[in-house]
Amino acid sequence: MRNRDWSEAEATSVSRSDPGHEHEAALIVRIQHGERELFYELIRPYERRVFVIAFTILRNEADAEDAAQDAFLKAFKHLGQFRAESRFSTWLIQVAVNEARLRRRRSHLEIMQPIEDQENEDGTYTPRDFADWREIPSEALERKEIREKLVAALGSLAQKYREVFVLRDVEHMSIEETAQALGISAGAVKTRLLRARLMLRDLLSPGLAGVWASPSQIPKGTKPWS
Amino acid sequence: MVVKCEDVWREISNYFEGDLDLALKRAMEEHFARCHHCRAVLEGTRNVVELYGDKKMFALPAGFYPRLHGRLADRVEGRKGSRLGWLVSLAVTGALAASALFATVHDRLVPQARAQMSQPSRRLPQHLVAVVDGGKTFHVPACPFMHGKYRMVTPEEAVREGYAPCNRCMYEALRTAGNVEPDFEGEEIAAGPMAEN
Repeated sequence: MRNRDWSEAEATSVSRSDPGHEHEAALIVRIQHGERELFYELIRPYERRVFVIAFTILRNEADAEDAAQDAFLKAFKHLGQFRAESRFSTWLIQVAVNEARLRRRRSHLEIMQPIEDQENEDGTYTPRDFADWREIPSEALERKEIREKLVAALGSLAQKYREVFVLRDVEHMSIEETAQALGISAGAVKTRLLRARLMLRDLLSPGLAGVWASPSQIPKGTKPWS
Repeated sequence: MVVKCEDVWREISNYFEGDLDLALKRAMEEHFARCHHCRAVLEGTRNVVELYGDKKMFALPAGFYPRLHGRLADRVEGRKGSRLGWLVSLAVTGALAASALFATVHDRLVPQARAQMSQPSRRLPQHLVAVVDGGKTFHVPACPFMHGKYRMVTPEEAVREGYAPCNRCMYEALRTAGNVEPDFEGEEIAAGPMAEN
C-alpha cells in the first residue's frame, strides 16, 4: 500500500541513527527475504495502537478487531511496498486508518456523522464551561463506567477530531506522524487537535449537560469520579 | 505582550505542545495567573489529555492476541494454500466420501430389521430355524405362534435377513438345549397361540 496522501516534503525524515528504526528496518528486510515469522515481532509494539485507531473510527469493538486483523494482513501482504523513509508504525497506522474508513463507508456509517462534522474547523472555538476541575485521579480509570463515559465523550466528536486526538493524545504520535498517517497537513492536525481537546473538556466538565452529567449517574456539580 | 482570553483559547493547544515562541508563552502564563476562567480551561484541558493518554484508557478485548495471531498464522506461516495443506484436505475429503459410500452400500446390502426392537443375536441355536416371509421373528418349526408357510434357514441367515428370535419358542429351545444361555428375555408360552410371526 503506498503512502499516497503525503508528499516527500511533508514526510518526516527518520533518523538513521534511531536504533528502533534500524531494528525495524532490519526486521523488514529479513521478512522480505523469507523469515516471515518475524512479522509478529515487527508488529507487536503496534497491535494495541492499530486496534485503538480502528475503534476510534468504527466505534464498535468487534468491527474494530476485524479491521485491525485485516490491516495487519494487508500490511504483511504489501510490506514490499513500504517506503523506508517513514516509520513503519506510521505506515502501519495509515493502513489501519484506510481499512477502518473503508469499512465505515461500506457500513454506511457516514450518513450518521455527528453534526460537528459540518462545522468549519477554522473558526475559533470558545469554551462553554469554566468549571474548575484540577484534580486528576488516574485511579478513576480503573472503573469501567468512567472509561465508558470517556469513550462516549470521544465518540460524540466528529471523526476527523477523534482521529487526530487519538493518534496524538492517546497514542502519543508526533504532530508530523499524525499528519502523515491521516494524510493531512500538520497545520490541520494542530487545528483539529485544539478543537478536540477543548470540546472534550467542555463535554467532561462537571456542571454542564455533557456526557458526564447524566443526573441519574453523576449528580450535577460533582466530579464524575467522586 | 498582552494577550486576551480569545488568544489564549486559540493557542492553548500549542502551549501544551511547547510550540510557542518565548514571548507568547510568557504572555500566556501571565494571563493564566490573573484569569480564573482561562486557568480553568488550561487545567481542564490538561486533565483531558492526561486521562485519555493513560494506558488504562483503552483495553484490548479479551482474547485479542490469540485471535489476531490465529488469523495471521495462515498467511504469515504459509499454512493456507501449502501443498501439505492441500494433501491433508484431500485425504480428509476422500475418507469422508468413502465412509459415506460404505454406509450407503451397507444399508442396501444388509436388510433392515423387520422387528422394530430386534438386535442380532450373539447366541444362536445350532439347528435350522423357521421363518415366514412377511414375519418378524424366527421360530422352531413347531412354534404355536408361527402361522403360514414357513421355510427353513440357518439362524445366521435369519438374522442377516432381519429376523429376530421368537422370545417364546426360541428362548425355550435355547434354554432346554443346555449348551447355550439365551441372551434375550423369554416369555412363558401362553395358552392360546397368538398370531405374531
